[in-house]
Amino acid sequence: MKSSIVGLGQTEFSKNSGRSELQLALEAITSAMADAGLEIDDIDGLVRYTWDNTSEAAVVNALGLTSLGYYGETEFGGVNCCGAVAQASAAIEAGLASCVVFYRSLNARSGVRLGRGERILDEQDGVLISRQAEPPGDVYSAPFGLLVPGQHHALYAQAYKGHYGLSDDKFTDMLGSVAVTQRRYANNNPIALLKDRTLSLDEYRAGRVISTPLRIYDYCLETDGALAMVFVSRERARSMSAKAVDVLAAGQHIFPGSAPMYLYAENTHSLAPEKVGQQLFDKAGLSPTDIDVAMIYDATSMMVPISLEDFGFVKRGEAADFLISGEHGPGGQLPINTHGGLLSEGYFHGLNTIAEGVRQLRGESHNQVDAETVFMTLRGASSMILGRA
Amino acid sequence: MSNIRPSPEFLAEPFWRHLAQGTLHLKSCADCGEAHHPPAPICPHCRSFNVEWKPATGRGTLKSFTEVLHPVHPLLEPRVPYTVTLVELEEGVRLVSGLPDGLQVELRVGMPLECQVIAIDDDYALPYFLPVDGAQP
Repeated sequence: MKSSIVGLGQTEFSKNSGRSELQLALEAITSAMADAGLEIDDIDGLVRYTWDNTSEAAVVNALGLTSLGYYGETEFGGVNCCGAVAQASAAIEAGLASCVVFYRSLNARSGVRLGRGERILDEQDGVLISRQAEPPGDVYSAPFGLLVPGQHHALYAQAYKGHYGLSDDKFTDMLGSVAVTQRRYANNNPIALLKDRTLSLDEYRAGRVISTPLRIYDYCLETDGALAMVFVSRERARSMSAKAVDVLAAGQHIFPGSAPMYLYAENTHSLAPEKVGQQLFDKAGLSPTDIDVAMIYDATSMMVPISLEDFGFVKRGEAADFLISGEHGPGGQLPINTHGGLLSEGYFHGLNTIAEGVRQLRGESHNQVDAETVFMTLRGASSMILGRA
Repeated sequence: MSNIRPSPEFLAEPFWRHLAQGTLHLKSCADCGEAHHPPAPICPHCRSFNVEWKPATGRGTLKSFTEVLHPVHPLLEPRVPYTVTLVELEEGVRLVSGLPDGLQVELRVGMPLECQVIAIDDDYALPYFLPVDGAQP
């Protein structure tokens, strides 16, 4: 990839934004362009998730954009966070656009909630009706009460626990270490939703069970708000005053049974074939030991151990030891989700995960690591490596 | 019992019609013999369109499970806790299933299970999977 991220803009994280998703999107986009030191009229490309409720037309009309020559949509939401980056970069490399904005806007707490069944089920005379062809909540899984992503994650978690024969205590401490360490990061992060709420391992262990073996603290936060980021060519980035971060490699990979939810694919203790990581690192000319910080899309804490193994940061079955010994914490071998993650900072469908990677490479994180490279993935469905410019 | 059902368009499809008649059928390839799920118009193994419905053996193993304690819809509040399972059938396909509400069984990843089709009403039945007799959960 030969593109760079030169601007970030976002609204506050909240549980009730009090404004429309379109307004949130426009606030994030204009603030990202200001951060990049560019004019709004410089935008000639847009990338959005198909799951976003705002449309390209609405953004173009509202901003009065006169030169939008490219707009691309990427399927799903967070599954494709790094895929959207690949698409923005590809559009620039192909000459389709010179300045692409990727944004996500969602009132995911005050509006339609991803963690609720109402989103996918109709109620009729006291019975719930599924009309969905694809998970979550599709006709083959909804009748058994498998309805929302968080319940799928509980299945990943139990499959992993069973595959490696982890004891209840070790498994609990593994995920507890993710939740507690990320909360400590969030406690230093002024924009994190849970900045002022501490979490101890004992509190984690006593947490309410949502869907075995996952507790309330294993889950991400339904959040209102928007975030946007600006992409230009690496060459152009070098001539700008903005602090640039380079996209070294980015890509997507789905395979039978793995999307929208990983449900029917071959392995259940692992969510991505090893070739996904190999291809990504080969493209960047790096290996896992070269990575300074990892951003792992933590819809639940369970994504952290699985991704560490799937991408070769630790050997299969060794994530528990790595996490229990705190290697993902401050000063550890591989700090992970230093903003607090989706568990403790907020949830903009992966864009805030990318944003923390950018802040680390700009030297602007509130849990700063001396980082030259950042790895990011959503369970291998999309992944990328960013580098300091 | 489940108070969630596929819409009538889906219940009219063969997978659900076979279940309503009491048997679990899988979409299978008449050329290479492999089964797949969810049902598709083509065999994902040999890409033949010559696919048909065949009765499943009903034997499988437990790949994962979760006991859902938090209801995600008001109408599910009386049903929690309930158990969702992920079952790998002998035919090599995976199915989402569960335990009938109220049944207490100790589950273990890898344990053998057997299909029991349970009718919800005349038009609608679900393939539950229960521990095989004699198996040590």
